[in-house]
Amino acid sequence: MTAESVLSIQGKRSSGTPVRTENVIAASSVANIVKSSLGPVGLDKMIVDDVGDVTVTNDGATILKLLEVEHPAARVLVELAQLQDEEVGDGTTSVVIIAAELLKVADELVKQKIHPTSIIAGYKLACKEACRYIQNNLTMNTDELGRDCIVAAAKTSMSSKVISIDSDFFANMVVDAAMAVRTSDGKGGYKYPIKAVNILKAHGRSATESAIINGYALNCTVASHAMTKKITNAKIACLDFSLNKEKMKLGIQVLVNDPAKLEAIRQREADITKERIEKILKAGANVILTTGGIDDLCLKYFVEAGAMAVRRCKKSDLKRIAKATGATFLTTLCNLEGEESFEPTYLGEAAEVTQERVCDDELILIKGTSARTASSLILRGPNDFYCDEMERSLHDALCVVKRVLESSSIVCGGGSVEAALSVYLESFATSLSSREQLAIGAFAQSLLLKDATDLVPKLRAYHHSSQIKTEHSQLKYYGLDLIEGQVRDNKKVGVFEPTLSKLKQLKFATEAAITILRIDDMIKLEQEPSKESGYQQALKSGQLG
Amino acid sequence: MATKAVPAPKTRPSKSEFKDKEKPAQIRSSNIVAAKAVADAIKTSLGPRGMDKMIQDGKGEVTITNDGATILKQMKVLHPAAKMLVELSQAQDAEAGDGTTSVVILAGAMLETSQKLLTKGFHPAAISDSLLHFSAKAVEVLESMAIPVDLTDNASLLKSANTALNSKVVHEHSGMLAPMAVDAVLKIVDPNKDQNVDLKDIHIIKKLGETVEDSQLVDGIVFTQKSQGIGGPSKIEKAKIGLIQFCISPPKTDMDNTVLIRDYAAMDRVLREERQYILNITKKIKAAGCNVLLIQKSILRDAVSDLALHLLAKQKIMVVKDIEREDIEFVCKTLGCRPIASLDHFTPEALGTAELSEEFQAGDSKFVKITGVQNPGRTVSILLRGSNKQVLEEADRSLHDALCVIRCLVKKRFLIPGGGAPEAELSVKLTQYAHTMKGMDAYCFRAFAESLEVIPGILSENAGLSPISTVTELRNRHARGETHAGINVRKGSISNIIDENVLQPLLVSTSAITLAAECVRSILKIDDIVNVIR
Repeated sequence: MTAESVLSIQGKRSSGTPVRTENVIAASSVANIVKSSLGPVGLDKMIVDDVGDVTVTNDGATILKLLEVEHPAARVLVELAQLQDEEVGDGTTSVVIIAAELLKVADELVKQKIHPTSIIAGYKLACKEACRYIQNNLTMNTDELGRDCIVAAAKTSMSSKVISIDSDFFANMVVDAAMAVRTSDGKGGYKYPIKAVNILKAHGRSATESAIINGYALNCTVASHAMTKKITNAKIACLDFSLNKEKMKLGIQVLVNDPAKLEAIRQREADITKERIEKILKAGANVILTTGGIDDLCLKYFVEAGAMAVRRCKKSDLKRIAKATGATFLTTLCNLEGEESFEPTYLGEAAEVTQERVCDDELILIKGTSARTASSLILRGPNDFYCDEMERSLHDALCVVKRVLESSSIVCGGGSVEAALSVYLESFATSLSSREQLAIGAFAQSLLLKDATDLVPKLRAYHHSSQIKTEHSQLKYYGLDLIEGQVRDNKKVGVFEPTLSKLKQLKFATEAAITILRIDDMIKLEQEPSKESGYQQALKSGQLG
Repeated sequence: MATKAVPAPKTRPSKSEFKDKEKPAQIRSSNIVAAKAVADAIKTSLGPRGMDKMIQDGKGEVTITNDGATILKQMKVLHPAAKMLVELSQAQDAEAGDGTTSVVILAGAMLETSQKLLTKGFHPAAISDSLLHFSAKAVEVLESMAIPVDLTDNASLLKSANTALNSKVVHEHSGMLAPMAVDAVLKIVDPNKDQNVDLKDIHIIKKLGETVEDSQLVDGIVFTQKSQGIGGPSKIEKAKIGLIQFCISPPKTDMDNTVLIRDYAAMDRVLREERQYILNITKKIKAAGCNVLLIQKSILRDAVSDLALHLLAKQKIMVVKDIEREDIEFVCKTLGCRPIASLDHFTPEALGTAELSEEFQAGDSKFVKITGVQNPGRTVSILLRGSNKQVLEEADRSLHDALCVIRCLVKKRFLIPGGGAPEAELSVKLTQYAHTMKGMDAYCFRAFAESLEVIPGILSENAGLSPISTVTELRNRHARGETHAGINVRKGSISNIIDENVLQPLLVSTSAITLAAECVRSILKIDDIVNVIR
């Protein structure tokens, strides 16, 4: 374009078809990276960062987060994966692949002289139709399928991860954990705050020895070794201040005229804290958890009282413990009379608090909390990478379980939804006479490219007949069995995914594809030259010469 | 490479020899070419089917937008004449808030016409004069085709907000954002009195997370901070709200002063005094009947200490801290309270009253929302959500455009059809008018009238239609007297655009034409560029 060269800006500018193609190429190269990690026979990536830290994963969002992509269009896809991770937690790889596929097909269409806006309109229509079709025809209610299906959904999510061999074991664990943190949202429904599921990692032993603990596991140890390691019928105090020797604030000076008074002041410093500790102990507390520190000097009071004191706990942990045990999380002891006091009502209760050794670490376990149930998972694995990957997999699975439980609707996995949609959209496209027809056809096509095997035609045939003939409607649940390499009824086998995940995947992928398609101009500005110091500038301009 | 091709003459008159200035005609044409390039650059983002630009700045931050003013601001053009066009779009943004792309394209088209006229031998001053006449006449024609609108006519307002939102990325949410914009503006104006709207009274709070659909209009106020203190209330009905500007933390002595302790008993006293001091403050606050406390941000010391939070929580007072200094006025206006600068003034009269003050969770973050204010000021808050930063920013810009459109309607209560109809109508009417004129003026007039057709041309081009056949048909329909015929982008045909609900405020079009004409006139009058070297 000749007119363009006239526009002078600080940087590079490119526009028109080249930009779109460039964006599409950038996006599909991102998708190519994660492509091989999709599905139950997907492989893992090993990523080494500049410090030398190694991550082994097959979670799309994690891979992309670590990649540090530079191209702005590719970054849109990375953000897309992150978004899916936040909103759903699973399906991060699929969403990137769908978006890239949509872009690729769109680029082809643009080259065939179809205006991008027509493609965008077509994609939007297709996405809307697809979501409607999923909701009306493909979903199943979990209530009629029961717990088995929730476990199956968790299993499906885990099938592609390192822990797939033990997916039975972990799926049950995850469902138990999610059930344990169930809270009512006050409107008759239930919420599953999966953040409340505490996951601890410890390497050593095999993955199958991971355990779920009905209670709270705290990655801390008791402050002094002289303390008892086990307390039954624990009364727990959660504090958010240090039990150190009291120091005066800034601006307060201690002036000692008489050497004899020196000792008295020192004594007093220690006594102020001692009095506090005594107040707490007098209220009946035998487990004291604090976010601050405890002086060695003060520890002896706890040891003498036979109480357990834990210092430097994480604040978020303590808040959850306070909720679970019914304790009040205290930031100060001050009461409304301006004096310091500690009421027995501030204490929380638990059946047992113990310190146990897991691998190299010692953990504090709080079991049988009184106010609410809590759950913690302790993961074991041969090495740290394995544990990290396990944690990510379990997080995905937890998210899936949460979504299934909250929305109580699922769809079949294994490409069955995609195949059904593709067949449906193709027939839908032929019913339109506008230019959007091609775009919808392309949308349908790109959905299928996901599982490009020779089984696809067969799968499509099944779905086609399921939609045409009512007596074959059961066939709509057919999907791929990638281990055996055949087509099967995924409803029977129990390959499920939450409906929400599929819907969001489609919506997000379409949105991202449209965002990138709409761009027809790219301007890269140069970094502004850093201002040199005044002296150097003066030197350059010759003022000093 | 665009950077290299700076046509701006870099004449450096050296002391030794006298060098003639470059010819004014050359300067003028260089200016025109540079300015036109700006118009060409943003051409493709005009209209409902316009495309977006992706701009990556020096730091790697990416902006995706199709708002003309934003694109140009981010682009950092170098040529001084091009910069004038950038400022032109900023001026339109300030004046009307919408039509920032069209104003630049109009100016580009007018410049192109002027260039043709210049080569034909017209004097720049003559062209400039005729342009002045032209813009005045154009406004007249526009006003004659305007449809008066009443601020109570919600449907018309909605339609024009919708039109503004249609070209944006967020347009699928226009069904929700448009009513939001209309409601927001209507809430803060008195339709009978106000001639202008202070958009500062609409507080837009951007928060990452969820999707644009989850945005909401809050009749009251939203704080993005969560309520402070552990164990304090998170929901208070019949809230009495106090806004304080002092701190509830131990007073600091000035640097040089120190408190001396000579005795161990005094140590206890120091601690107790501190507790008593804070307790005293909190008790006074409680005594005034306050149960929601807003605390202004303080940079000198902690606005509120842990101890104070604990005590306030115990007295069931909800605390929101870190209210920004500049938000104080808005908060006061909204809640009907007075900012309290010292404890002595903490009286029940200074408090604001609201039905409900509640902490709620949205996504990962918590907000405090105060609704049902008893003596509400004319303010409103909009909580905008978006799934990523780009979408959120673009949603904010789009909503701003929509708000501006409604503001335009408050300023000047007339609507005109969109979709290229006003430009086509102007072109036809003014060509007719040119026939009645005499002399050189008539020629210029006709040329400028023709240049206006660039807008429908680009509109149809961006929509994937054939520009020539569309514009000719449009011209034909207008010549037959169909004032409201415009390009129906959705169907790809020419139809009565009012039936399609594509409406825009009159002010947007009139200000676009006058501003563009003025800018072109000033560019025409430049005949020399002198680069001063520092």
